Amino acid sequence: MASDGARKQFWKRSTSKVPGSIQHVYGAQHPPFDPLVHGTLLKSTPKVPTTPGKAKRVSTFQEFESNTSDAWDAGEDDDELLAMAAQSLNTEVVMEAAHRVLRNHSQRQGQPEPQEVPVPKPEPKPVAEPPAALTSDLRLVKSVSESHTSCAAESASDPAPLQRSQSLPPSATITLGPGAPGSSALSEREASRLDKFKQLLAEPNTDLEELRKLSWSGIPKPVRPMTWKLLSGYLPANVDRRPATLQRKQKEYFAFVEHYYDSRNDEAHQDTYRQIHIDIPRMSPEALILQPKVTEIFERILFIWAIRHPASGYVQGINDLVTPFFVVFICEYTEEDDVDTLDVSRVPADVLRNIEADTYWCMSKLLDGIQDNYTFAQPGIQMKVKMLEELVSRIDEPVHQHLDQHEVHYLQFAFRWMNNLLMRELPLHCTIRLWDTYQSEPEGFSHFHLYVCAAFLVRWRKEILEERDFQELLLFLQNLPTACWGDEDISLLLAEAYRLKFAFADAPNHYKK
Amino acid sequence: MAETYDFLFKFLVIGSAGTGKSCLLHQFIENKFKQDSNHTIGVEFGSRVVTVGGKTVKLQIWDTAGQERFRSVTRSYYRGAAGALLVYDITSRETYNSLAAWLTDARTLASPNIVVILCGNKKDLDPEREVTFLEASRFAQENELMFLETSALTGENVEEAFLKCARTILNKIDSGELDPERMGSGIQYGDASLRQLRQPRSAQAVAPQPCGC
Repeated sequence: MASDGARKQFWKRSTSKVPGSIQHVYGAQHPPFDPLVHGTLLKSTPKVPTTPGKAKRVSTFQEFESNTSDAWDAGEDDDELLAMAAQSLNTEVVMEAAHRVLRNHSQRQGQPEPQEVPVPKPEPKPVAEPPAALTSDLRLVKSVSESHTSCAAESASDPAPLQRSQSLPPSATITLGPGAPGSSALSEREASRLDKFKQLLAEPNTDLEELRKLSWSGIPKPVRPMTWKLLSGYLPANVDRRPATLQRKQKEYFAFVEHYYDSRNDEAHQDTYRQIHIDIPRMSPEALILQPKVTEIFERILFIWAIRHPASGYVQGINDLVTPFFVVFICEYTEEDDVDTLDVSRVPADVLRNIEADTYWCMSKLLDGIQDNYTFAQPGIQMKVKMLEELVSRIDEPVHQHLDQHEVHYLQFAFRWMNNLLMRELPLHCTIRLWDTYQSEPEGFSHFHLYVCAAFLVRWRKEILEERDFQELLLFLQNLPTACWGDEDISLLLAEAYRLKFAFADAPNHYKK
Repeated sequence: MAETYDFLFKFLVIGSAGTGKSCLLHQFIENKFKQDSNHTIGVEFGSRVVTVGGKTVKLQIWDTAGQERFRSVTRSYYRGAAGALLVYDITSRETYNSLAAWLTDARTLASPNIVVILCGNKKDLDPEREVTFLEASRFAQENELMFLETSALTGENVEEAFLKCARTILNKIDSGELDPERMGSGIQYGDASLRQLRQPRSAQAVAPQPCGC
């Protein structure tokens, strides 16, 4: 009994220190976060999200989240909590300092506009690079920076032009990575970021929490394959165990292939195989997918996954989810930066096999978290579309009313947003950037995605409110002009989504009408 | 683009996966073949104004995903459709065999009076044909469907399919067989007068609040 009492006390004591309870009181005592007020605040400093100051805030919340999600250990984390508090107190100071530094940098670079500096988030260029790759890079950079500036000019005159050029192929800006001429300040910052990643990855036990924090605002291209494998939970944090795990998993996957793949023409599975077989040639980027080797790899991955997950089986849309992993992993082995000109036949067969297995496992991990999106009647999607509707009605009543008034149902446009994780609405390189964050967020694909969708819809509020016809509204919502979106658009979207999540996630009453 | 029209008809395009439903719609609206047509997720939407028998008709077309798993979602769009293109692929018997199921869905979920035209698509792939014209036209006759073989690639019979369906609906309205006033008929009168009363768009833009709420 005595020990019982002690335990009780322990829990009581603990509870008062668990961040979750603090949050609860906070939510009950204070009036709901007013998104409008908050929104204007954000508006006045629109470049904030990508400044180091903001990154600090993000990481603070991440820490906060991780503490709440693991309340059992919270009793021991007093120091961390104190550190967190100190950090949030210092945010303003940090931000001011960051702005000052960036201003100084830009002056040294002869760039009169300080705001320009923090916005683009190009992936850093590897410090040392073979000259051949360098020249091809330069060629690409040129075209990219041109298209990029044209986009920037457009958005400067009109924050959200109704008809942006759709002619740009989605993958055209995938090379946005290498630092453009005259942005050495950026490269410096990015180079130090890359160093941090490399350090973390090389540690005997990678600090996954730290890696998540760092990855939230984008992962540099050279370390993206390894970082994704770690964040998805495919590879262990322990650096020594990684090679063995890779080997074991690759072997396991090919044992599946051996075991199941011949059954694709059996009566029980031929429908599944047939569907996969007719869907893959219809995917994009065509130039990549239509290469016979790639087509075969996609068919195998999807068929094996479907057979091993009979609750959902293969559902159209799952095929799209293979692409980002495959593209990220294969880019590690080619000098080609452009997916459209990537020639898979130049990649050695054993490397390609490993990429196939890695893609399968990472995709499986992703799907584990969203399987109810694809089971019978797709309950996960139905629920999320409903939640999106509720959320939007709270954060932007006029847009919600407008859609309602013109009888546009959320399911009519947002079904695809959920089923394909916005991949049909965004260029591939944007999806890859988006997934950096999804993989660093707890429940990124299943939960945070909802807030991204809300931010995405509201992003078009001006165009939506101007459209006063059902058909035009729906046509617009099903063909959103994102063709020349870059990483900075995704960063803004994510910042907004993060803000929404912060305001509404654990306060269901806030978003119930 | 608030055009005026006499009627608005709600149309469906249904049928098994990979039969070319989206390509038919694209050919009808854009007058060209869609090369890089990705498979449809849920429902996609298209719209075009046509002139049939002296009347302007706005077609509001719902292009549905063919895969079984999406039925729970696509079915919710069936309600109140006035017409449907029921599509199969002449080079795939499987897609032909599932026609009866699709038809039952359309008649029970949309309306028993829905005007359906059967489209044997991919007419341009005649050497690979698995379903004969005769066989399909017999099926059409038995089920009181109109029938055309179409090619979304060349555009052959695509416009005809949509127009034929629209014309039949108009005839049924004229003969009193269809009542546009009835709820869920899939037909609306185009209220041109109301539209003209509206202010020009620029005056309507009630300076929306800065985006990002």
